[in-house]
Amino acid sequence: MTLNLSDLQGCFEGVVPSIISTADADGVPNISYLSHVVMVDDRHVALSNQFFAKTAANIRLNPQATLLLVDGRSGLQFRLDLVFAYALEKGPLFDHTSLQLDASSAQIGMTGVMKLRNLDVFRVTKIGPIVSPAETSEPLPQKPNRLAAVGKIVESIVAETEADGIVDATLEGIHGELGFSHALLLQLYEERSQLITIGSLGYRPSGIGSDVPLGEGVIGAAAAQGQLVKVSDMSRVRRFGAAVRDTSLDENRTRSIPLPGMPDAMSQIAVPLVAGGAVRGVLFLESQERLAFDREDEIALSIISRQAAVSLTLSEKLSLEADPQQDSAGEHPVLEQIVQVVHHSFDDSVFVDGSYVIKGIAGRLLVSMLEQYLANGRLEFSNREIRLDKALKLPDFKHNLETRLLLLRRRLDEKQLPIRLVRLGRGQIGLRLEARPQLRKNLS
Amino acid sequence: MRWPLDRNLADFIESPVMQIIGTAGVSLRPEIGRGVGAWCDDLRTIHLVVSAWQWPQTIANLRDNAQVAVTFARPTDYVSYQIKGTATVREAEPAEIERSSLYTVAIVSSLMKLGLMPEMIAPWLSKREAMLVSIDPSSVFVQTPGAKAGTRVWNSAP
Repeated sequence: MTLNLSDLQGCFEGVVPSIISTADADGVPNISYLSHVVMVDDRHVALSNQFFAKTAANIRLNPQATLLLVDGRSGLQFRLDLVFAYALEKGPLFDHTSLQLDASSAQIGMTGVMKLRNLDVFRVTKIGPIVSPAETSEPLPQKPNRLAAVGKIVESIVAETEADGIVDATLEGIHGELGFSHALLLQLYEERSQLITIGSLGYRPSGIGSDVPLGEGVIGAAAAQGQLVKVSDMSRVRRFGAAVRDTSLDENRTRSIPLPGMPDAMSQIAVPLVAGGAVRGVLFLESQERLAFDREDEIALSIISRQAAVSLTLSEKLSLEADPQQDSAGEHPVLEQIVQVVHHSFDDSVFVDGSYVIKGIAGRLLVSMLEQYLANGRLEFSNREIRLDKALKLPDFKHNLETRLLLLRRRLDEKQLPIRLVRLGRGQIGLRLEARPQLRKNLS
Repeated sequence: MRWPLDRNLADFIESPVMQIIGTAGVSLRPEIGRGVGAWCDDLRTIHLVVSAWQWPQTIANLRDNAQVAVTFARPTDYVSYQIKGTATVREAEPAEIERSSLYTVAIVSSLMKLGLMPEMIAPWLSKREAMLVSIDPSSVFVQTPGAKAGTRVWNSAP
């Protein structure tokens, strides 16, 4: 049987370290592990060689090298004859490899140590299997037909017109059609250089409203670089996010919501949401399975993310076309109970009955709606008027009023507060009160 | 001259670490093999069990020009040493194969603690046609990833 590089996909996931052997002109061998082997095309591989000057020197004296690759699922080994072709210090392949390497080193607490300096590219002249003493392991479970799954998910996303439905269709599709159980959808808020969780699948608490700084961890890296980042084996890895715990008390102190995470995740993937050439957010998935995300999953999740990004951007535009509605009759029920709302102006954080809800623009939006209710009994608002409201001091954000309202609505729901937001139709939002708000502004 | 190895390094070599062997015969085509158990009781010679069935070219190269490089790497923290020298090869004795079995049990346990399944590890660890490779070291290098990678810590030359 002739093997091709494309038959060795399971060897390029970085699960089991690869091995390279070289020899100098006198036949003195050198052998070392490699952190990354990348398939360049059907006939070339690139090796990251961060530390070992000896390997680099040897291949310039004797261009022959031998590589041992291990399949990350079966453990089967393959031997490749290589001839050194050229070294790379920049370009798209270099950037992509560098990003993957940075992400995986950050995971093992070796940020900066594994910095990629150059990639050595080799021509592959022969590929052969190494005999195995073990019986061939049982066949791997079949993955769903990804093309069909993507077709269904995209269809359900484009059927939605509002941010809510788009986020739900994306995450439900990933669960129902692709079979993944844990995912987050995060929106990029450029004014804060942060990604905020607006959709959550499989986590308790959901982590809606949690944030990731741009550039941090696999999620932040995917957004900063606009490229997919994947980690296929986290067995020796510390989680970058906060451990799962009940954090309502911490939230009140830190005014930040912890990013949810699986304590025993083995695989993670972060896919940028790109529309109109700009990164809008990140779709993040994790799994307890090693090598949970293969090449087809990468492509499937990239298509889904792009569709979600386009649909979210379109929903934002359409939401502004709806006309402001007149408030339907002012017959509001009499609210006997009181709910305390405190707004801290330095970070626009809002606490309801002592419980942290949200900060930033979403906090300002909530306070503005409550002020209008207290001033004139108003309970219904349109995106258009919110956008035009100078008092809100909204930044010149183009894309995500809808998702900020979605975030605020979901946060109020999750905290089960007596103040809620409801959708009233495209570009229309309603305030629902079960208690009369008493608003206090803390200006310090 | 002090011995090439101290007891600490010998203990490291004998502990559950991965053992990979580089050779290159007169053709200068490098080869890769794996060891399944190593020891150096006298701190002079490193003995390594290698399957001639799984790694025939490694054994052929050693018989050809005796040149060898072997790297010992601890999977838990990546601490690694590479030892270069010359080697002789003979069939392993039953007691040596028994010693190799103890190593196999220890490395499998160690890798399983890192989350690897035993069926995944099995393809790497063969004792079929076990040979004993006895290495006379000429130099020892630190190979742990980081600033000191590649540093020589011992050399037989005066």
